[in-house]
Amino acid sequence: MELDFSILLKFADALALGLWTTLKLTVLCVAMGTALGFLIGLARASENALIRIPASAFVEFFRGTPVLIQLFWIFFCLPLVLGVELSNLASATIALTLYMGAITSETFRASLRAVGREQMDACVALGLPRSVQILHVILPQAVLRAVPTLLSNCISLFKESALVSAVGMADLMFVGQNISNNTARPIEVLTAVACIYFIIAFPLTRLVTRIEGRMLRKLAA
Amino acid sequence: MDYTLDLGAVTRNLGPLFDGLAVTLQLTVAANIIGITAGFGLALLVLSRFALLRLPAMLFVEFFRCTPAIVQIVWFFYCVPMLFNVFLDPITMGVLALGLNLTAFNAEAYRASIQAVPREHLDAGIALGLTPAQRVLNIVLPQAMRASVPVLLTNGIGTFQQSALVAIVGVADLMYQGKTLATQTYRPIETFTIIALFYLAVSFPVSQLVGWLERRRGLAAR
Repeated sequence: MELDFSILLKFADALALGLWTTLKLTVLCVAMGTALGFLIGLARASENALIRIPASAFVEFFRGTPVLIQLFWIFFCLPLVLGVELSNLASATIALTLYMGAITSETFRASLRAVGREQMDACVALGLPRSVQILHVILPQAVLRAVPTLLSNCISLFKESALVSAVGMADLMFVGQNISNNTARPIEVLTAVACIYFIIAFPLTRLVTRIEGRMLRKLAA
Repeated sequence: MDYTLDLGAVTRNLGPLFDGLAVTLQLTVAANIIGITAGFGLALLVLSRFALLRLPAMLFVEFFRCTPAIVQIVWFFYCVPMLFNVFLDPITMGVLALGLNLTAFNAEAYRASIQAVPREHLDAGIALGLTPAQRVLNIVLPQAMRASVPVLLTNGIGTFQQSALVAIVGVADLMYQGKTLATQTYRPIETFTIIALFYLAVSFPVSQLVGWLERRRGLAAR
């Protein structure tokens, strides 16, 4: 069998377009999902069971089921439930945002817990109002501690975003599969697609390791 | 909404769903056996002093960790038969693809816990005149294994969820059966909700177990 990687050059534009869709989707869902995750993380730490329990159920559900099912559910069932047509991009965004919200809420919960109990006590002793406690004392520390894990969550989301190809959204994976089916050259095309994902995700994982090391030193000092 | 729920469409067809669940569990268990054993060997290679062993092992781990699982599975199903001229049944292919992915993730888990084995234990092993193989099997393995149990379980349950991806390449697992049923009965809401609950019913108890193990370890460390 002969490999011919030059065929990729012909499809460079299509692949670039697919990559653009993937990146757009990832950035959109990272931004909205992280915000959602922070709110859910706070809700899970709430003393009010009416807030805490639904938030926990949401997280367990999204972490306990395959992302593929979540996508299918939102693609096929949500339009029926709501009675409105949703575009591919809208459905994919909703699905991945909810998933990102669930996984980042765990990150925030862990980092909120890592902020020492003494700090809360100090706030009470100083008579600081609740809003100041959260915004100026807890939040900055929790966010700082959460940064490395949040970056890992972003990389996960970038990878999971390839699933939207299964419901027909023209992301990098979808474009790659189309080209590979039409040209009957899966080895060249799929390997190239895998390499593109790798080239983006790998430097990010290195960055996470570096930030983590720096953060550990800073927190230890 | 003008859609009346009819769970009967699903409950009358539970047979194929249970068949699918059996395939999913089979894939998960087999991939975990590969991942737990090969992952340890790979972790040893990643930590090897010899660059010739270390670099390929690291590349393997990073490649699997930095590309989407769906790309790996599609690549495996399309390219392995063409490249190596081997034609295996779909379930075996699924097990291999998921198993290799899990091997990479477990190798990372093992690496962290192997590095956490105190240096003195190894020195003691050398002082006692144990061979390198004895040191690995009797000193490193038991401790690393114990320390990595929570992560191995989390990864294992991750593979259970990733296994839904084989539906895309036509393996008749739970996801595939659910998709087929949803199309046949025109009942996507009922079907997809029920398969989601199937998945949740398996992974939720395991994730609770992981939480419990971690809390217990936290108490023991104190």
